[in-house]
This record gives sequence, C-alpha cells and structure tokens, in this order.
Amino acid sequence: MNSASFFVLGVLPYLAVVVFAAGMINRFYTWFKTPQPGKMTLFPAGGSATGGVLAETFFFPSLFRGDRVLWFFAWVFHATLALVFLGHIRVFTGLIDRVLMSIGVSPEGIDAMSSTLGGAAGVVLLATGLLLLFRRIVQQRTREISNFSDFFALLLLIAIIFTGDLMRFGTHFELAETRAWARSLVTFSPIVVNNGMFQVHALLAMVLIIYVPFSKIMHFGGIFFTQALIKRR
Amino acid sequence: MSERNVRAEETVPEHDGEKAAQARPGDTTPRKMVPGKEETPVVVDLPKTEREPRDVAGEVVGAIGAIKDGPRVLKTYMETCVKCGTCATQCPVYFGDPSKKYNPAARSDLIRSIYKKHNTRSGKLLGGLVGARDYEDREVEEWVEHFYSCTGCRRCATFCPMGIDNSVITRKGRAILDKLGLTPDTMKRVVEISLETGNTDGATLEAFKAAIEFLEEEMRDEHGIDIKIPVDVEGAEYFYVPPSGDVLVNPEATTGIAKVFYVLGLQDKWTMSSRLFDGANYGLFTGDDKSMKADNEPYIKEAKRLGAKVLFMGECGHAYRIMKMMMEPGKWWGDLPFEIVNCMEFTAEKILTGELQFDKSKNPQPVTYHDPCNFGRSCNIVEEPRIIMEASCQDFREMYPNRGDNWCCGGGGGLSAMDDIYEFRMTITGKKKMEQIRDTDAKYVAAACSNCKRQLTQLMEYHKEDVAVGGVHDMLSRSILINGKAAERVNYDD
Ligand code: HEM
Ligand code: SF4
Ligand code: SF4
Repeated sequence: MNSASFFVLGVLPYLAVVVFAAGMINRFYTWFKTPQPGKMTLFPAGGSATGGVLAETFFFPSLFRGDRVLWFFAWVFHATLALVFLGHIRVFTGLIDRVLMSIGVSPEGIDAMSSTLGGAAGVVLLATGLLLLFRRIVQQRTREISNFSDFFALLLLIAIIFTGDLMRFGTHFELAETRAWARSLVTFSPIVVNNGMFQVHALLAMVLIIYVPFSKIMHFGGIFFTQALIKRR
Repeated sequence: MSERNVRAEETVPEHDGEKAAQARPGDTTPRKMVPGKEETPVVVDLPKTEREPRDVAGEVVGAIGAIKDGPRVLKTYMETCVKCGTCATQCPVYFGDPSKKYNPAARSDLIRSIYKKHNTRSGKLLGGLVGARDYEDREVEEWVEHFYSCTGCRRCATFCPMGIDNSVITRKGRAILDKLGLTPDTMKRVVEISLETGNTDGATLEAFKAAIEFLEEEMRDEHGIDIKIPVDVEGAEYFYVPPSGDVLVNPEATTGIAKVFYVLGLQDKWTMSSRLFDGANYGLFTGDDKSMKADNEPYIKEAKRLGAKVLFMGECGHAYRIMKMMMEPGKWWGDLPFEIVNCMEFTAEKILTGELQFDKSKNPQPVTYHDPCNFGRSCNIVEEPRIIMEASCQDFREMYPNRGDNWCCGGGGGLSAMDDIYEFRMTITGKKKMEQIRDTDAKYVAAACSNCKRQLTQLMEYHKEDVAVGGVHDMLSRSILINGKAAERVNYDD
C-alpha cells in the first residue's frame, strides 16, 4: 500500500510532467512547421485575426451563434474549469494567498472565498460535466459521431471532479499537507500524503495529464491554429 | 430517395478529348437538360482493366498519411475536432435529412479515423478506443456517395467552435477518389470537356461568335444604338472572364456588363476572349489540384498576352475564389502583371460615385439575392451585389440569414452539375434554400454564380414555384439608363 501511494504521489508526477511537456511540444511543433499554401479566410472576418482567435478561445462566439444551449453549458463548464485551475494553484502554493493579501483580503476572507467560490465551482463543474455527458448520449447528432475516447475524456474529468468534490465536502484535507507535498516534489524529495481520497484524486489527475497530449483535449492548443487559419485576413 | 447512380469508368481515363467532346455533342444548352430520369441503385466499380492489380488500400492509406506533412488545415483538422455536433445543426445537407451519413463530422471521420490509425501514437496503440480504424476493403466505393453529398459550402466552419472547415476534408476525399478513377461520371465529363475545349459546355468558337452577335443585336433592339462586346482585343485594359455558360444561356449578364462599360465610356477598354470564355474550374470540385491548375493557367497566359491590366472576373463564385484566394496568394504563376477584380466590385463602386443611373420602375417585382458561398463566405463579396440590386430594383428584399451566414443553394461543390443526384439536390440539399426563398415572397432570385443559378432554377421548377432565377447584372441590364433611357423591353420570359 505504501509503495503504491509512493508511486502515485512520488513517481507518477514526474512521469506526468515529462510526458505532458514532451507531448505538448511535439504537437505544437508539428502543427507549427506544417506549411499552409493559399488562404482559407472565412468571411465576415472583421478586426484583427489575433483578436478573433482570442475571442473564440475565451468566449466561443461561433458556438454561441451556432448552438446556444450547448454554448451555455460548454462555456460555464470551461470557465469553471479555468477557475478551478486557479484554485489548484492555491492548493499547492501560497502564491494566490499572497496576491490576495497584498490587495487587502484577510486570511479569513480568503478561506471564506475558497469555500464558497471553490465549493460552488466544484458543484457547477460536476453538474455541467454530467449534462454534457447526458447530451452526448441522448442527442442523436452527437452520439452518432462519438467514440469511446469522447466519452472517456468526459468521464475522466467527471471522476476527477467528483473525487475533488468528495474531498471538499466529505473527508477533510489540510492545505498545509498539499503544499508540503508540492514543495517536496519541487525539491525532488517526494513525501506521501496519507489521505486516501486525495491519492485517488491525484492518481486520476496524473492519468489526465499524461492523457492530454494524445487526446481530444488537445483542442485547447489546436484551436489557435484552426481558428487562425480562417480568421487570417 | 438518396439512391445514387454513380458509376465509375471501366478504365482509368486519360484525358480523351474525342470522347469528351462527344459526350454532349453540340450541346450548348446543358442548363436546360431534364434530369432525374435514371435513378437506379448504386453501382460503383473499381477500374478493372488495370494490368497490375491496384493496391487501393495502400493508395488510400498513403494519400491520407501524406496529410502528416500538410497542408496545415488538413493536419490540424485531423487532430482537433471535439465532436460537439454543432456543424450538423448548420449543414444544409444534414438539415435536409438528419441521418448519420450526412453528419459532417461523421463524413470527415471516414478520413480522420484512418489517419489516426496510421499516423498518431494513440491511434496505433489504442485503435477503436480513440476512434481509429483501418481502411476496409472496397470501402472507397461507398465514399463516392459520402464525399459527393457535401456541397463544400463551408457553413459548418462558420459555426464550428474550433473553426473546422469540413469542406477541406471533403475535397481531400474527392481527390483520393479522383486518383482511383472514381469521380462520378457526370462530374468527370465536365472536367474533360472543359480541359479539351476551354469551357464546360464544350461550345465551339462559332457558337461563341454567334452568341456575341446575338447579344449585340439584342442591345441594339433595346437601346437603338450600337453597344459593342469586344472580342480578342489586344491592349484592352479589362479582360472579362464570364462564368460558365453565361454568354450562351444567360445573355443578360453579359449585356449588363457591356452596358456598364458603355456608359462609363470604356467601350474600347475591355475585351473578352474567343478561346477562353468560361471561368468555371471543376478541379476545385474533383479535388484534383493538377487539373485545377491546368484549367487556370490559360487564363493567366491569355491575360498576359492581351496585355490586360485587370483580370475582370464575372459572376462566378468559385472562379473568382480560385483566382483571388488560391492562385494569387499561393503564387501559382509567380507575380502577376495585372489586378484581379470582380465585376460586382467594379459596378458597385461606379454606382456609389453616381456614374451609373437607373430607372427602377423597369424592375418592379420583389427581388432577393442569394449569396453564393464562394462569394460570401469565401471572398467577402456581399455588399457589392446588394448595392447593384438596390440601385436597379424597386423592391429588394433580404432572405435570412444572409451574407456570410447564408444557406447553400444545395448545389455547391459542383453538385449542381450532377444530374444523377437531381432528386437528392431537390429534396435534401436544397430544402432549406427553398424555405428561405419562399419566406421572402420574391419573384426573382439573383445569384452571382452559374452553379447556384442552375440549382435554384431546378428547385423552383421542382417545387412549382413561380420565381425567376438570374444574375445580378441581369437586373442592371434591364434598368440602367443609357443616354437617359432604359431598355425598351417588357418581356424577359423567353
Ligand atoms: C483554450 C482552451 C479551451 C477552449 C477554447 C475549449 C473549447 C471547447 C469547446 C468549444 C468545446 C465544444 C463544446 C462542448 O462540447 O462542450 C469543448 C469541449 C470539451 N472541452 Fe474544451 N476547451 C479548452 C480547454 C479545455 C481543457 C483544458 C479541457 C480539459 C482539461 C477541456 C475539456 C473539454 C472536454 C472534455 C470537452 C468535450 C465536452 C463534451 O463531450 O461535450 N477543454 N472545448
Ligand atoms: S462543429 Fe467542429 S468541432 Fe464540433 S463536431 Fe463539427 S467539426 Fe467537430
Ligand atoms: S461544407 Fe457545407 S455541405 Fe459540407 S459539411 Fe460543411 S456545411 Fe455541410
């Protein structure tokens, strides 16, 4: 048992970082070096191309015009995902606390913010994730183009969200412990956090990180290329 | 209903001019054909008379594998679809019949899945789990129907959150089919005739000259003066390249252009070519880059030979797109000694400067404008036709949605020339367009594209709607003032 937890918390993180970094660099590099003769511009293409691509990345305007219901769920899902990502920086470092304190938020205020905002985010993420999954199953046009990996990406995320929520609302966990763990990783002297739910959550997260460069989740990189191609003036 | 009669040639054809010319002997009015007669079940055969048995699977997998090295569009499209299904909601074909084979992402997956199997780590390792699969024996035979049921309209790309343009994948699929000799006969014939005679109708020099004389006579009747249509004039500033068949079957488009030049006092500054009078280029539709370029080059050479300063493109969406978005930026023939201008840009500008005047009462009926996908979404020529229509017609109405969001007529991607899929075009791909046009109550639909015009004309006939279909300069031709007077003519039905 101990060696299993050591693998998850002491070995896997390094593996994940290496695979993730190598995979990402490889994907971006191959996309970048592939030539593109001719123009693919799709009109109307107002403003700057970069502005257009950034708008698509942050607000999904094309999806908004194409499928408003999906836009709502997808946007809330992704925005919350981004929020939760920020939240994880706080779980592992004191950075966010320092920033917030420097603008005058009290430590109690930060804790309150964390439990309301973070708690709400966890619930919203789970709900929208499940709704997206539901949609994928019941909606004919989406189901007929889905394969196992489309379900797997969502299921994996939902599992991570679910274990994360369980930790927040069920078993207790200490910020001090997770930060100590993160510090131990950076100094290459990994320690183990003895919290079963945290270990499961971390395991799933490592699987996700390793999986990302090979999966559809790479759309967060691909979108910059595909959108730039049609937005180019 | 969607049964296709797609039959490949027995042998892989070399461009056999004789045969091609005979395909429609002397037929200069292909747009009047009565289609939809032979809807027999799908019969597709691979070329049989090859000396060596062909490694079809190897060729297909190889062609798909080549995507690894570009172009960038295709490569990123292989790897970024999130399978959200939004494209399906915006596709005219899926709108007409929401079955899986018309779902854009499903069609694109035919190629994507094979790409994943052979070119991605996850695909090699995990296969079906990540949607990868190998090529199945004889599967290309079914591809003919699949890749010829996308109109290449790019509407999906407008709404796809990732900006994926499924028409690019469709074109790749067609290119693979073309290499295997599986391009549908109806399409192949057009390409062959075009490469042989320089125009998609297979019209001869005599037919062209006769048509020009006829048009000049018409204008003399209309205005009582001589308005010339110059042909083969070296040193002319504008070299006019009309769309497919316009000179022969849509006469008013050409008279409209001639009148514009006349009013502007540029009567001697423009010319047509008696050898090259059809901008259509079906290489775009078969996916064969080589024949697309082969079809394109003569126009560039002719423009240079004539010493033109402006390559003046007519009301043909895909011809203009190839020139403006592909040939020029792609530098197919190096730097060009001339500009590429569309006739609608030119005319609209002259209307805005007040150089052209109209008697709108000549066009009292409600009219609407259909944005051809290649002009609207692909080239941003959207306001110009409206300026012309508003100036020359009394009751101009928009259809909704319009401009870059417009629905395809249902005949894009060359489908409009394929009579073997007439029913399919009338009942499925054109369904949304029919609704849009009905909603306007217009009596005349203008479309700046010969493919759209053919599809729309057939749609109106099929659905028994009393709506005329024509071009933009046609409306102009009827109401433009020459020496203060518009054309004296009331009946345009014949
Ligand atoms: C630049 C960042 C990103 C953008 C612009 C983006 C955009 C989108 C869009 C437009 C969709 C389609 C709508 C939908 O099906 O929900 C989508 C789907 C999805 N995204 Fe993202 N995304 C980004 C980052 C991420 C990240 C970092 C993850 C996961 C860690 C992720 C996970 C997913 C998943 C799982 C789906 C599929 C949802 C479903 O099955 O319905 N995305 N994304
Ligand atoms: S809209 Fe775009 S991302 Fe969504 S399924 Fe279609 S092609 Fe894929
Ligand atoms: S290009 Fe047009 S017809 Fe083809 S899949 Fe996209 S929306 Fe459908």
